[in-house]
Amino acid sequence: MREIVTVQVGSFANFIGSHFWNFQDEMLGLAADPYGDPVFKTQSLNMDVIYRTGETHQGTTTYTPRLLSIDFQGSLGSVSSKGTLYGEGSNEPSEVVTWAGHVSTHASEPQKKNLFLQSLYQEEQDAPLTNGINGEAKDSQHEIQDTDISLYEVNGLWMDAKQFDNYGIGRDVFMENLRGEEICDKLRFFVEECDHIQGFQFIVDDSGGFCPLAADFLESVSDEYTNTPVLLYAVRGPSSHMSLSSRKQTVVRDLHDAVSFSRLSSFCKMIVPVGLPSLSRSKTSTFLNIEDENPYHCSAVYAAALHSTSLPFCMEPLGPTADLSDVSGAVDVNGFVQMLAGQSRQNMVAILDVAMPSPWKQDKQSLLRNLQPLTPEVAEDVDDLQAVESMIVHGAIGSGGHRLSVSEVKNAIHGAYECATTRPMFCHLSAARCPLPIPLPFPSIFGNLVGQHGELLGSPILGSSSRGSLDVHSIPMAARMRSSRAIMPFLENRLANLHKFGIERGCPGTELLRSWGFGKDELEDMGETLSKMVRTIGPHSDISSDSD
Amino acid sequence: MYCYFFHLFIYRKKVRESPKTLPSISFLLCSKQSFEFFPPDSVTCSLGHTPRAFNGPTMSLRVLNPNAEVLNKSAALHMNINAAKGLQDVLKTNLGPKGTIKMLVGGAGDIKLTKDGNTLLKEMQIQNPTAIMIARTAVAQDDISGDGTTSTVLFIGELMKQSERYIDEGMHPRVLVDGFEIAKRATLQFLEKFKTPVVMGSEPDKEILKMVARTTLRTKLYEGLADQLTDIVVNAVLCVRKPDEPIDLFMVEIMHMRHKFDVDTRLVEGLVLDHGSRHPDMKRRAENCYILTCNISLEYEKSEINAGFFYSNAEQREAMVAAERRSVDERVKKIIELKNKVCAGNDSNFVVINQKGIDPPSLHLLQQAGIVALRRAKRRNMERLVLACGGEAVNSVDDLTPDCLGWAGLVYEHVLGEDKYTFVENVRHPHSCTILIKGPNDHTIAQIKDAVRDGLRAVKNTIEDEAVILGAGAFEVAARQHLINEVKKTVQGRAQLGVEAFADALLVVPKTLAENSGLDTQDVIIGLTGEHDRGNIVGLNQQTGEPMDPQMEGIFDNYSVKRQIINSGK
Repeated sequence: MREIVTVQVGSFANFIGSHFWNFQDEMLGLAADPYGDPVFKTQSLNMDVIYRTGETHQGTTTYTPRLLSIDFQGSLGSVSSKGTLYGEGSNEPSEVVTWAGHVSTHASEPQKKNLFLQSLYQEEQDAPLTNGINGEAKDSQHEIQDTDISLYEVNGLWMDAKQFDNYGIGRDVFMENLRGEEICDKLRFFVEECDHIQGFQFIVDDSGGFCPLAADFLESVSDEYTNTPVLLYAVRGPSSHMSLSSRKQTVVRDLHDAVSFSRLSSFCKMIVPVGLPSLSRSKTSTFLNIEDENPYHCSAVYAAALHSTSLPFCMEPLGPTADLSDVSGAVDVNGFVQMLAGQSRQNMVAILDVAMPSPWKQDKQSLLRNLQPLTPEVAEDVDDLQAVESMIVHGAIGSGGHRLSVSEVKNAIHGAYECATTRPMFCHLSAARCPLPIPLPFPSIFGNLVGQHGELLGSPILGSSSRGSLDVHSIPMAARMRSSRAIMPFLENRLANLHKFGIERGCPGTELLRSWGFGKDELEDMGETLSKMVRTIGPHSDISSDSD
Repeated sequence: MYCYFFHLFIYRKKVRESPKTLPSISFLLCSKQSFEFFPPDSVTCSLGHTPRAFNGPTMSLRVLNPNAEVLNKSAALHMNINAAKGLQDVLKTNLGPKGTIKMLVGGAGDIKLTKDGNTLLKEMQIQNPTAIMIARTAVAQDDISGDGTTSTVLFIGELMKQSERYIDEGMHPRVLVDGFEIAKRATLQFLEKFKTPVVMGSEPDKEILKMVARTTLRTKLYEGLADQLTDIVVNAVLCVRKPDEPIDLFMVEIMHMRHKFDVDTRLVEGLVLDHGSRHPDMKRRAENCYILTCNISLEYEKSEINAGFFYSNAEQREAMVAAERRSVDERVKKIIELKNKVCAGNDSNFVVINQKGIDPPSLHLLQQAGIVALRRAKRRNMERLVLACGGEAVNSVDDLTPDCLGWAGLVYEHVLGEDKYTFVENVRHPHSCTILIKGPNDHTIAQIKDAVRDGLRAVKNTIEDEAVILGAGAFEVAARQHLINEVKKTVQGRAQLGVEAFADALLVVPKTLAENSGLDTQDVIIGLTGEHDRGNIVGLNQQTGEPMDPQMEGIFDNYSVKRQIINSGK
C-alpha cells in the first residue's frame, strides 16, 4: 500500500480539510452500506491510502485519517480535541490523584461552536429535514474515531487571530518552545507506521501567520524525508482577498504574498495555489449558488476539487489485463509530480481546474470548456504547446441518465482533445465510475438546475434557489491539474511586487522585511528564484528546452 | 519598570468593519471579578483590538491618527496596574506546597489540570498588552531557568500594587523607579552574600540535590509521590552529567505510558522508544544485544527519472524487480554480514535502530537473519542511544565495523493496546536515561510530566550555580530587612520610598505562602520579621505557621531562579 499523510495548517486549510474528510467518511459509509449504490462498492479505490485502520480495546475497527492538523488553540470550538464527535460524554476525572491539596475549578463558558459547526447548524435550520429517513440511515453506519486525529493546537501566542495575519508575526512560532519538535514528532508517528509512503499532501492557509510555520515545518520535512514528495495546496479563504484601505496594508499584503509563495515553493515538489477572490462570480460556479464571504461555502468547492485530484492516488494500480470498468489511470504522488512538474520545463506551479458538477453533453467541446480554474491570477486562452495536464473525471453520467463506463469516458475525452484547438503536449487521464458523494453536513450550494445525482436538468426546479445535501446525493466531478504558461500572471505579480516593495532602492518594504528576518541577500535570492520560475515558462523557454 | 509607567497615552485604532465591538477600557478596572474565573479558552481580558501603549504628545497623535483613542495619564497607568494585579490574582493560589491545583474546563468541556504557572499562562488568552508583557517575562523566566513563573508574576504584580499606593499619594513614577533601581541592585548584592555555596566536585553532594528537587516537586505533587520522584530526578541528572560539560537535559527522555499507577513511574537506565518492530515474526525479547544505531535508508526509492518497466514473461519481471531492489538489498546484506561476524559462536542478538525507513522486504531479510529492526526512530533518540549503549551512529553501510556497535543487556517490546514500546535496558555505562511516567489517565501523566520537568531543571541549576538559596520565604524576608534597615538609610530623598516599596513587594512570597496555607498573613509576617531582627534566618512552616529553619527542613531554592526573578522585576 502506498500511504499518504495529510497535513493541514491554518484555519482555512482546516475548513477545507473538514469538508474533505467528510467526503472521505461518506465514501467509506456508502461502501459499507448494504443498500447503497453499488457504484461506491468498488474494490479499486483503496481508502487505506489516506486512512489508518486500527482496533479499539473492544475489538471494533476504527478508521483514523492519517492527518495532522495545526490551528489556533480553541479553534476547534465546541468539538473537544480528545473525545469523539458523537458525544461520549466528557471523562471528567473524579479526583486529582497527583495532588493532595486544594483543587479549584475554572470553567470557561461553553465555547461557541466553531465557525464550521456554526455554519453547519445554521444551514440545517434553514433547510428543514424533509427527507429524514434517508439522512438517518447514512449517519449511523460509520464512525470515524476522532480520538487519534493528531491535532496540534498552537497556544501561548497571546494575540488575536485577526492580528496573526502576516509573515512576520508567525515567524518564530515554529521554533519557540520546542513547538517544531513536537509537531515533527507527531508527523513521525504516522510515517513510522507507513510501509511505503508515497507522499505528503500539505494544505496550507498561506494568507496569514501560519505560513512561516508551514514553511519551517516543510523545511524540516524535506530535510528528514528527503525522497518523499510533497504536494502542496496553498489555499486562501475569501477574507484574505478583502480590499484594503491604506497603501501600507496593501504593501504588507503584497509582500506577504510574494515572500510566502517563494518560501513555501522552495520546500515542496509541486505547489498548487487555490482560492479565488470571488468564487461566486467565477465561471466555476455556473451551477452553484455560493456566498462569497462564507468560508463554509467556498471551502466546500475547494474540498471537492481536492477530493477529485487525490482520487488517482487511492486507485489500485492494475496489471495490464485487469478489468478497467471501475477505475483507470492510477498514479502515485511521485509519478504525478514528476509528470506535471518534472518534464522538460520543470514548472512546479500547477493550476487547478474544476467542473462541479461536470455535465456530460454530446458536444465534446463543452467538456473541456466547463473546467474552470480555482487558481487565482491565471491567464485565459493561453496557447501553450508545452502544457502538461492531468485530468480526473469521475461519476460521469451519460445522456440517458446511466453512469458511463470508464472506457466510454476515456474515449470521449480523447475525442474532445482531438478536435480541440489548443492541445496540451501531454495529458494524463484518470477516470472512475464513482461520483462525489455529498455528505449530510454540506452547505446548500447547488443551483436549481442540479438534479439528485448531479445531472443537469432542462428546467429549474421550482421552489428553492439553492439545493443542499438532502436534494443532491452525489455529483459527477471533473478536475484537472495543469502546468501551463497560464500561471504566468500569478508569478509575475509576485515577482513584480517583491521587486517594487522589497528589493529596489528606497522601496517602502525594506524595513518591514528586515523585521521579518529577511536580509537583502535573501530577498535577492528569492527574486532570483521567482524570476527563474517565470523564465522557465516564459515564451523564450521553448528555445532553451529545444536545445537540450 | 520604565516601560510600565511611561505609557501614559493609550490609543487605539478603530477598526472599520466592527465598530460595535469596541469595548470600553473602564472594564479593565474591575479586575478582580473578571479574572476570578479565568477561562482557559476564552478571551479573558478582551479589549477587542489591543491598544498599543504609546509614548508621545497627545496632540500630534491626534494629527497622525484622528481615530486614536487617548486615555489620560492616570487612567492609562491604572489600567496597566490593574492588568498586573489581575494576572497576579490568577496565579497567586498556585504558589507553594499548599497551593491549589487548577482544573481548567475549556469551552468544549475538555479538562486540563495544572499547578504550573507556565502552563497556566500559556492556556490563557491574554490580550491586555501590559498583561502580555508580564506573561512574556514570566515565560521567558521559565525558558531560562525552568521555574519561578508564578513568583515572577506575583512579584511584578505586587510591585505594581505597592507603587500604586505611592503614585496615588502624588509621587512621580520616575522617582519611584529610581528607588526600585537602587533596591534591585542592593538585593542582587545581598543575594550573593545570602546564598549557600555548594561544592560540586566530581561527586556532587547528592543530599543537597535531593533537597532542592524535593522542594520543587512538593509544590507540584503530593508528598509520597514527590519523594519517590526526587530520587528518580536526581539520578537522571547525575546519569547524563559529564564532568566539565554543560548538562543537556534533552538526554533524559521522558516517556509516558497510560498504564498502572502514578507510583509505578520509574527511571530506566537505558532508553524507551515509542514504537516497535513492524514485522510480525521478529523477536519480542532479546538478551545480550549488539545495538546498531544508524541513519541508512533501507527503503526502495523510485528513481527520479520516469522509467518504464517492460517485460514479456514472469521470469523477466522477477529479474527486473530484483535488479531494482538490488542496491537496497546490498545495504541490508552488509548489515547482516556484520551481524554474522559479531554474533558468531555466542548467544548474543543484534538490534538495528534506524532513523530512516525500512520497507517490508528489507524487514523480512533482517528477520530471516534473526535481527530485530526498528525504523524511523526519533532524531533525538539517535543521540540518546549512542550515549546510553555506546558505539556510534552510522550514516553509511561502508562505515560498518564492530566498533560502532553499542551493547544492551535486554531489549524487549511492551504492547499496550495499539501502542508499542521498546525498552533498551541493562546498558553498561549509560550517559542517557529515560524517565518512564506511568499513570492511569492523561491528567495524571501531564501533572507528573510538569513536575519532572521542573525537578530536572532545579537539579541542573543547582549543579551549575554551585549554590542554593534558603527557601520557604526566608530569603525574601531577609532581603526585605536588609533593604529597610541598611539600604534605605543610604538613599537620599524620596527615592527611599521606592526602596521601601520594593522591599515590601518582596514579601509577597511569604505572604502568599501563608495565605495559601490558610494562615493569618499579618501574624506570619510579624513572626518572621521579628525572628530576622533577632538575627535568625527563618522561613515559614506552612503546617503550623511558625517560623522555622529552612536548612533543617531541607527547603532550598535555586540561586539562578531567584536572581532571575529579581532581575525581571525591573
